[in-house]
Amino acid sequence: MNNSGWQHLSTPLIDNNPITAQMLGVCSALAVTTALDTALTMSVALIAVLSAASTIISAIRHHLPGSIRLVMQITIIAALVIVADQVLRAYAYEVSQRLSVFVGLIVTNCIVLGRAESFAMRNPVWPSFLDGLGNGLGYGLILMLVATLRELLGAGSLFGINVLPLAVNGGWFTPLGFMLLAPSAFIILGLLVWVIRARRPAQAEADEFPILSREVEARR
Amino acid sequence: MIDLFIQSVFQENLALTFFLGICTFLAVSKQVETAIGLGLAMIVVQVLTVPINHLIFQGLLIEGAWSWAGLPEVDLSFLKLISFIGVIAAIVQILEMVLDRYAPVLHHSLGVFLPLITVNCAILGASLFMVERRYSLPESMIYGLGTGVGWALAIIAFAAIRERLRYADVPKGLRGLGLAFVVTGLMSMGFSAFVGVSLP
Amino acid sequence: MSDLSPLTWWRRFLALPNDSLSKTLGVALLVALVAATAVSVTAISLKPRQQAHVEAAREAKLAAMVATLPGLADILRETGAETLEAVLVDLQTGQIAIDTDPAGYDYLAAQSDAAQGMALVAADDGAGIGMRPDLAPVYLLRGADGLALVVLPVYGKGYQSTIRAYLALRGDLRTIAGLSIYEQGETPGLGSRITDPGWMGLWAGKTAMDAGGAVTITVVRGAGADASQVDGITGATRSSTGVANLVRFWLGPLGFGPFLARLQAGEF
Repeated sequence: MNNSGWQHLSTPLIDNNPITAQMLGVCSALAVTTALDTALTMSVALIAVLSAASTIISAIRHHLPGSIRLVMQITIIAALVIVADQVLRAYAYEVSQRLSVFVGLIVTNCIVLGRAESFAMRNPVWPSFLDGLGNGLGYGLILMLVATLRELLGAGSLFGINVLPLAVNGGWFTPLGFMLLAPSAFIILGLLVWVIRARRPAQAEADEFPILSREVEARR
Repeated sequence: MIDLFIQSVFQENLALTFFLGICTFLAVSKQVETAIGLGLAMIVVQVLTVPINHLIFQGLLIEGAWSWAGLPEVDLSFLKLISFIGVIAAIVQILEMVLDRYAPVLHHSLGVFLPLITVNCAILGASLFMVERRYSLPESMIYGLGTGVGWALAIIAFAAIRERLRYADVPKGLRGLGLAFVVTGLMSMGFSAFVGVSLP
Repeated sequence: MSDLSPLTWWRRFLALPNDSLSKTLGVALLVALVAATAVSVTAISLKPRQQAHVEAAREAKLAAMVATLPGLADILRETGAETLEAVLVDLQTGQIAIDTDPAGYDYLAAQSDAAQGMALVAADDGAGIGMRPDLAPVYLLRGADGLALVVLPVYGKGYQSTIRAYLALRGDLRTIAGLSIYEQGETPGLGSRITDPGWMGLWAGKTAMDAGGAVTITVVRGAGADASQVDGITGATRSSTGVANLVRFWLGPLGFGPFLARLQAGEF
């Protein structure tokens, strides 16, 4: 893999992460992160669908008529998601039951359509595949981070295996029930974005209405 | 029926309880006017798509739907994703054309966000929940209306809060997206208080 | 005639301008065809595996239910049985329906499908369910000395939700072995106390029907006086009487009554 290939793979991990920088694919990132096994399965499913979709769309990009472009992309993505869903239901039934509608929602996952439109339509097959893989990995990274925090603090376990001794079993850890609720995912993600932007100031957004008095003071 | 409506607006709010449609939720909520426009568009699309998808699912896709043609064992439910998305895309396209013809100002102000409704997870999610919970046709209509109203309510409230936050002195890394996430989290906490409300 | 070879034809198709009508239709059809084939092939080839999983999940749910019914684990151990035998009962006649496979029968869907059941008039509808399906699953446990347990899935309207439960009868078909409520949406903290193990445990050992087959089990306010009365829950009268009503309906002539009569007569 040459330099630019490696870049396609590594940039979406932090510098251009689909969730924290491009603001795509947030829906599922919040809902499936109550446990590490659902987060992992969702990430794997998305990586598979994203890489395959980017590759296929890139392969036929020169022959897609403009009027049906969007519908064709959605059809390809939907077919891939159905295949992924069927495979999950055949080989990982319990996890697929807990994921319920969210695997189906990969169809509308903004990342897949977003990368298809902005990258796969303009680039050859191999870079598109790497780009899909990279964005999928970036998405998976954030998902695993959030899920680790939520499961560890919310249930004292990782991948279902008890790690922190629970108070009901005689230990010292009382699980933070809040971590298993919806709002905690938002707040953890917000704080995660803050940490990333503190270390990568280039990603921080500009202040729309800066306070003038400081400049006036400095000028005096 | 009323309790289904109230439940889908407050206790099972698609944006704040199930996190559906969050990308658009975060992207279009910088101003209250655009949020109102998008919210109204969402309501219209939901009210149309959930019942239509119900009819298609019951009439064409489930096992036994083709028994009138002598094929009672055909089970096409695995095609529901593609057919639902197709219906949603078609309805959004029609809505766009209708708005262009009869309400051009609204159409212009919504701009690119109208086609973006097609890939809004909330619309597909509502149809998928309708299938999972086996709602009947009247229940589907109420559910579509309720989820649309709930999502619109969430985004309009959020936009109002964000407009106020524009003038706040926020730490550099937290500005914009980070703060939006935290605020949504707090709103979600607020809405989770509705879970304890018992309906008549 | 190399001009008509498929490869040349394909190349000519690809060379068409993207916005021409034939290209647009061609690409649309091709993508749709490939997508549909891929999806169908996957769905059909994986269906057996998925079915196996659904079966296993159903078994697990049943096993979990058996585990919650108080005292049931002991009965299972005594009879040495591994699991329950599922049969489909025609509620009208009380016969076992042999031409329908119990494993593939979707009882939940049948409860809301007018074509698969009989509408009930208000006077007969003790459980408040509106319509009664024609076929219902029943789970039998046979031990060394004959029938050890009969588990009946029952459901009905509570105060504000549909209550679903499993009612287990002992081999004599008169005494209740246990009641396990597995789904309800009653008022949290009040009506939902019908799922308290303490309350459900009150049902075990009660006499459901008398020697003539008339349903005698009932829920009373305050403490129950005899073997057919279950104590009601204070503050949850509607929910606990809802449970009583649905149990009485399903043990009666419109529910499993005919089947239980045949079972008592030793027909199966």
